Amino acid sequence: MAASRRDSRVGQDVLRRVGEASVLILISLAGGPKHGYALIQDIKELADVELGPGTLYGALDRLERLGLIEPLPADDRRHPYRITAPGAAALRVHLDSLERVSAAGRLRLQLGGI
Amino acid sequence: MYDPQATRLVETALRCYPARWRRRHGDEAAVLAALLIRDGTPAGSIALSYLAGAARAWLTPRPGRPLSTVACALLVAACSLGVSAGLLAPAASARAASTSQAHGSTHCRPGSPAPVPGVIPAMGRPQVIIWEARHGRSC
Repeated sequence: MAASRRDSRVGQDVLRRVGEASVLILISLAGGPKHGYALIQDIKELADVELGPGTLYGALDRLERLGLIEPLPADDRRHPYRITAPGAAALRVHLDSLERVSAAGRLRLQLGGI
Repeated sequence: MYDPQATRLVETALRCYPARWRRRHGDEAAVLAALLIRDGTPAGSIALSYLAGAARAWLTPRPGRPLSTVACALLVAACSLGVSAGLLAPAASARAASTSQAHGSTHCRPGSPAPVPGVIPAMGRPQVIIWEARHGRSC
């Protein structure tokens, strides 16, 4: 049932309401599996955003519930996570949507002469 | 660098999470906090982030726990807050009354205009005006 619900969402921007932290985590995981500490470091580097550990785990739980990421077997005491195929598709849709909004914004700034 | 006070602070914050969360992420979260403290992140901000995360973890409905359970928990919390406020309010008003009696007629503000009997100048205090008019008092 969850799979059919997921299928019906194909093409929709499911990341619109999950928050910035979740999107940044997906972008970071698109570069390969990472555990919590590596995610925080990577996101700080790529977006200059310092993700708090509480925010990180909240977002990881939400993304896992949505089937957009999955945990890998624990190495030491840390669980690496990787992006799933639906996660990659959702990220692609979301980034396309952001690109469209960004282009429209730039165009309006240009037309307004600001 | 091992700082027992920082570790205790983070452990206290982690204990606020639901048990299922601690079973799943507890060890990893403690390791992550230690690494962040080593990098120079203040333990207080880590603990605060975990506290906010714990509040979210308690409030987020999970599969198998219907939304009504969460709503009930919130309702109980709101009711207990209401009861506490209800218990505190009479005590506070009694204290206020005894203070005003001790200072004579301090409830009559010196700057306020004297009310005219039978006329209600403002909609905010009709009972007070009527009482004052009946007893021939004015501020």
